[in-house]
Amino acid sequence: MSDQTHARTDHDLAPGEEEQHSVGARILGYVVGLALALLLTATSFFIAGTDLVWQPSIPVALIVLAIAQMGVHLVFFLHITTGPDNTNNVLALAFGLLVVFLVVGGTVWIMAHLNANMPPMDQIMRMQ
Amino acid sequence: MLGKLDWSAIPFDQPIPLAAGAVVLVAILAVLAWVVAKGHLPYLWHEWITSVDHKRIGVMYILLASVMLLRGGSDAIMMRIQQAVAYQSQGYLPPEHYNQIFSAHGTIMIFFVAMPFVIGLMNLVVPLQLGVRDVAFPTLNSVGFWMTATGALLVNISLVVGEFARTGWLAFPPLSELSYSPGVGVDYYAWSLQISGVGTLVAGINLVTTVLKLRTKGMNYLRMPMFCWTTLASNLLIVAAFPILTATLAMLLLDRYLGFHFFTNEAGGNVMMFMNLIWAWGHPEVYILVLPAFGIFSEVVSTFSGKALFGYRSMVLATMAICVISFMVWLHHFFTMGAGPDVNAIFGIASMIIAVPTGVKIYNWLFTMYGGRIRFATPMLWAVGFMVTFIVGGLTGVLLAVPPADFMLHNSMFLVAHFHNVIIGGVLFGAFAGFEYWFPKAFGFRLDERWGRAAFWFTFLGFYVTFMPLYIAGMLGMTRRMQHYDVAAWRPWMIVAAVGMAVLTIGVIGQIVQLVVSIRNREALRDRTGDPWDGRSLEWATSSPPPVFNFAFNPDVRGEDAYWDMKVHARQQSLEHDRPDYQDIEMPRNSPTGFVCAFFATIMGFALIWHIWWMVVLGGLGAWATFVVFAWRDHDEYVIPAEDVAAIDRINREERRGLVSMAGTV
Repeated sequence: MSDQTHARTDHDLAPGEEEQHSVGARILGYVVGLALALLLTATSFFIAGTDLVWQPSIPVALIVLAIAQMGVHLVFFLHITTGPDNTNNVLALAFGLLVVFLVVGGTVWIMAHLNANMPPMDQIMRMQ
Repeated sequence: MLGKLDWSAIPFDQPIPLAAGAVVLVAILAVLAWVVAKGHLPYLWHEWITSVDHKRIGVMYILLASVMLLRGGSDAIMMRIQQAVAYQSQGYLPPEHYNQIFSAHGTIMIFFVAMPFVIGLMNLVVPLQLGVRDVAFPTLNSVGFWMTATGALLVNISLVVGEFARTGWLAFPPLSELSYSPGVGVDYYAWSLQISGVGTLVAGINLVTTVLKLRTKGMNYLRMPMFCWTTLASNLLIVAAFPILTATLAMLLLDRYLGFHFFTNEAGGNVMMFMNLIWAWGHPEVYILVLPAFGIFSEVVSTFSGKALFGYRSMVLATMAICVISFMVWLHHFFTMGAGPDVNAIFGIASMIIAVPTGVKIYNWLFTMYGGRIRFATPMLWAVGFMVTFIVGGLTGVLLAVPPADFMLHNSMFLVAHFHNVIIGGVLFGAFAGFEYWFPKAFGFRLDERWGRAAFWFTFLGFYVTFMPLYIAGMLGMTRRMQHYDVAAWRPWMIVAAVGMAVLTIGVIGQIVQLVVSIRNREALRDRTGDPWDGRSLEWATSSPPPVFNFAFNPDVRGEDAYWDMKVHARQQSLEHDRPDYQDIEMPRNSPTGFVCAFFATIMGFALIWHIWWMVVLGGLGAWATFVVFAWRDHDEYVIPAEDVAAIDRINREERRGLVSMAGTV
């Protein structure tokens, strides 16, 4: 059992399996991640209520900050890297994102068309 | 005290379910009494019920699927008889009973026959094909199996305590909402699927991890047998799609239990969102079922043609393409809901595109057979029968993918014929091929060929006689799920279909007889070599049945068709004669965690269905406590000493020596 898993670990690591870093370096990684996440969260709250910037840019700024937040989580907490030992994790993330995009995007698209084409009966009556 | 449960839950006025339930109960008690009286109980407990061995769990999955196949098949026979007699009359099944039967038939056949059958085969074979000693999470594997068994048990309890859903196998609202289905039927449906869904999800995670992380030396992705690839694709789909089912059913349950309005007619609920979500799971689900079957056919066709699989890389590509495209076609299940031409056109085209990789596979199998030395053993008969049948089913599927045609054929018997054509012709034929093919590996003796052939021909012909008339009835305008009808033109086709059902039943009986005959003649059918079919992949490199540790040494893989290579190699260099250096092997300890968890899950599920809240808490606490006890265990592995490994392995090497001198001809 165990000999097979050990034979493969130098190629392909699951998150949290990295043994080469010392405990100090790993804690530092988590602290940096926490600080960045808090900073991004605080900025989002600040931007949402401020009148210092051009108002229509606020939603765009929030979207950018949200995506940055996801990136921070992926890098510091889920340990997604571009290294060759991380291919499986990156592929799993890509597959997950694709499925979420297809299902959510498809659902929104389908339901929008349904709403347009199939209004409730009382609305049809009113139109006639 | 007992929530909604009282004596009125037992249908004393309906003789059919009561008699059936009584017979089953007596049978179960008789088997249990026999087991206890003969003293087999400790063996059953230590070697099977608490086993975390992937092979035994695989066998138990297949046993569960086979038992449930008989239950779902009985429902099918009852429906065919009903539709044959219910012309201008009520037939013999009252509507509320008939509705429960077609709902139970669909639910059972998909969730408790097809799913456990393919998951069982994957469990049994994939670790052997990858050359490893077990799946990634052996105890979780056992939990997954027992959760599936819990779901099956709850569905069967509904036969005598209360009722089953009358809503069809997907429980569409608003019919499945509290206002139209106030009984416990939909609750039985939803909770059994939620609990067995947990089992399916952990099985999926387990098998994905196994294929990605546990492969023997040199087993690169592009050297894996085709069945491992289809297992990977199918389980990726399980992990991606089953949460959608769980979430959708959870929303339906919130509607029913806590007065939410996700899918109700009133208060802003959206019924169409349920169809959308359930099919976003439902379409990947059909590929979850059929991809492993494609893998089985790839193994069978290549072995019995004596050739490497034609176009291995195109097969891998086709499998992964199907895996992704299967998430882009779900709207074709509700073209008629009214999303409009733009949406329908895109999803119609995507549905036709998915036939392309499937067609690639068919041609690859044909070219694998071309120029091969084909042996028509029973597994190969199922494979060839599949190719013929699946092409018909696939073509009617492409026809249904054309939205205007679908508007005419939607919810007709044509649709019923189509999906039975692909599920029976694809999944069930695949499961039977895998059963015949890997049975000698699991038990060490072959199945009787004569009865196997007879069973195949009866099933094959019975399938056509049953379902081709349904295509015609659909063309004549007959809708599905009719308890009775008044159109004279449909009647002859329903009678032909009932006759076909009788032929199909003979086929199923043939397989039961085959099993009994084979067990009786097991000494004559014994396979001592571990390689009865002159196989090509690593599962044939060990003895039959394999020892608990599968392989004394991790096999060293140097190319595709790993075991075929080894046979050729060994013949040329007589490497079989060396005396290897055996080592101790650590294996996971058996654990009752799965069985105990499922015991509490059954209590919890039953209590949730009947609103017995104290019992819900009891079941939940029990399952949680079992998990805690398991998490606190100190010893999770035991050691098989090197001498024992050597003793077991030497027997197999002796048996195999004769084989190697004969087989492996290039």
